[in-house]
Amino acid sequence: MNVVVCVKQIPDPAAPQALDPETRTLIRQGKLILDDSDAYGVEMGLQLANQAGGDVVTLVSMAPNGETSGLRTALAMGADKAILVSDDALRGSDALSTAKVLAKAIERAEPDLIIAATESTDGYTGTFPVQLAELLGLPSITFAKKVTVGDGTVVVDRQTEAGYDEVECPLPALVTVTAGVVEPRYPSFKGIMAAKSKPLEQLTVADLGLDASQVGAAGSRQEVTDVSAADERKAGEIVQDEGDGYEYVVRFLEQLKLI
Amino acid sequence: MDFRETEEQQMLRQAVDSIAAKYGHSYFTEKARSGGRTDELWDELAASGFLGVNVPEEYGGGGMGISELAIVLEQLGTNGCPLLLLVVSPAICATIIARFGSDEQKQLWLPRFATAELKMAFAITEPDAGSNSHNITTTATRDGDVYRLRGTKYFISFADESESVLVVTRSGVDESTGRGKLSLFVVDLDSPGLEKTLIPVEIVAPENQFTLFFDDVEVPADRLLGTEGDGLRQVFMGLNPERIMTAAMANGIGRYSLDKASTYARERSVWGTPIGRHQGISHPLAKAKIEVELARLMTQKAAWSYDAGLDAGEAANFAKFAAAEAALGALDQAIQTHGGNGMSSEFGLADMWGLTRLMRTAPVSREMILNFVGQHSLQLPKSY
Repeated sequence: MNVVVCVKQIPDPAAPQALDPETRTLIRQGKLILDDSDAYGVEMGLQLANQAGGDVVTLVSMAPNGETSGLRTALAMGADKAILVSDDALRGSDALSTAKVLAKAIERAEPDLIIAATESTDGYTGTFPVQLAELLGLPSITFAKKVTVGDGTVVVDRQTEAGYDEVECPLPALVTVTAGVVEPRYPSFKGIMAAKSKPLEQLTVADLGLDASQVGAAGSRQEVTDVSAADERKAGEIVQDEGDGYEYVVRFLEQLKLI
Repeated sequence: MDFRETEEQQMLRQAVDSIAAKYGHSYFTEKARSGGRTDELWDELAASGFLGVNVPEEYGGGGMGISELAIVLEQLGTNGCPLLLLVVSPAICATIIARFGSDEQKQLWLPRFATAELKMAFAITEPDAGSNSHNITTTATRDGDVYRLRGTKYFISFADESESVLVVTRSGVDESTGRGKLSLFVVDLDSPGLEKTLIPVEIVAPENQFTLFFDDVEVPADRLLGTEGDGLRQVFMGLNPERIMTAAMANGIGRYSLDKASTYARERSVWGTPIGRHQGISHPLAKAKIEVELARLMTQKAAWSYDAGLDAGEAANFAKFAAAEAALGALDQAIQTHGGNGMSSEFGLADMWGLTRLMRTAPVSREMILNFVGQHSLQLPKSY
């Protein structure tokens, strides 16, 4: 089985972030790291693939400046190889044009199963995985909290507001996983040392048979027209508990119609 | 020249950081105060191979060097979990055994250092010898198939949780100099005739200190490391890693302290402004930051020199001196920045004092390093 895991490399969320004043999108220069939400997908892929039995886990990513730090982290966790698409022409891509580019890259890995996070931790659009599935003509199952692979099928517990649906679908297919689907492993020292020698194929837009006018800002239908600061959080109310604190708690919860 | 760490070193730092952050300083102090051991943290680090990074690959280790082991310890310190055990078991003992052990000895011990299943203590210090290793009085006498060890060792860390101890003994006298000839033995801590007594110390750390009494302890001859009488050269091979690792631990504590202090100074507001805006707060912290970063740079250089097979003695001494002083300065200023909170248990600073202060004295004192630098780096007359 060929498992492809979509991996996004993002600016470290713990470091101060800034928006480009012209495009109003996140500045993504400098070192990027593996998006935490993708670590779940990588772990899921590693658990589903029987690597000793010849199954292959391939990472696919798109990032500026040939950035590979996040991919190396996922390779250190145990993935077999990686494909990186990096090209100046990709600057300003929206979710759909990203999906078009990665669809071309993913086809090369002949996937039986594609895994992606529900959404990224920097852009949060949450639309890329289903766009990708549509472009590849594959069924997609979103919000997986449990994934098992059987004889040519994938069975998913799909998280809903009320509980979960059990969904089965034939492979090949795309599945998006929620945080907590599995507990991501830490890279071991042997994994870290092996990561550098694993195959990492770097592709340009031309390598994928695409034209620069179809991708990046030129190929995007979406544009950020305005950005405004989030409302400051209002100061909370401090209640001195003199034995009657629970009454405030009950009143507060009633106001929110929670009880 | 390139001062950046390799991609592998950065990933190692990050992976150790993720594990240590789950435990944190409250775990460390809770174990220390209750007399518990940090087995959960140790086992998790060991399972990922992080405690055997410097053990040769052919014995199942990571095949890298003291640079990588120093990164592991520094990141543990940065998270408030400075495990002294790393300075001794993998850094001193595994290094000496990998370098001087026979093939059988390497096969016996190194795979278990690689998995960190083996914890080995190191015994050189004696009540009456102090820093003078030539005056070691613990003796090893050949008796048929065994050696008999007699004497006392002092301030032996974690002799309770270790399986064995690497002991520096006097096994004869050099006729030409009159000095003792040293030999190293790996001795099981449950050997008959070997007694240990706890030394109460004012250090909040999970590792305990002991006096070891060797009363005619029988040690099989195959536990002699390398060649009899070659001990001084063997010991010196382990002492530079010990200094470099002590520096790395101090650097971790320095960074831990500065992180706590700067977070507090940004958030703590008195008279309507964060206290970090006042130069009385910010300048001493900035100075401490510079000193910690300088110490890290020298530690990196010392580790790199050692791993490259160059003479690391001078750099290792510089690093240990600078790192111990910088860590003490940073911790002191972090406590000061916290006002009264600096002494409260909750803020996790004052409890670090004993361990950090120890590093000004051990494994080699500030004064002995200054003697070394005066004599060797500046070619001043020998003082002792």
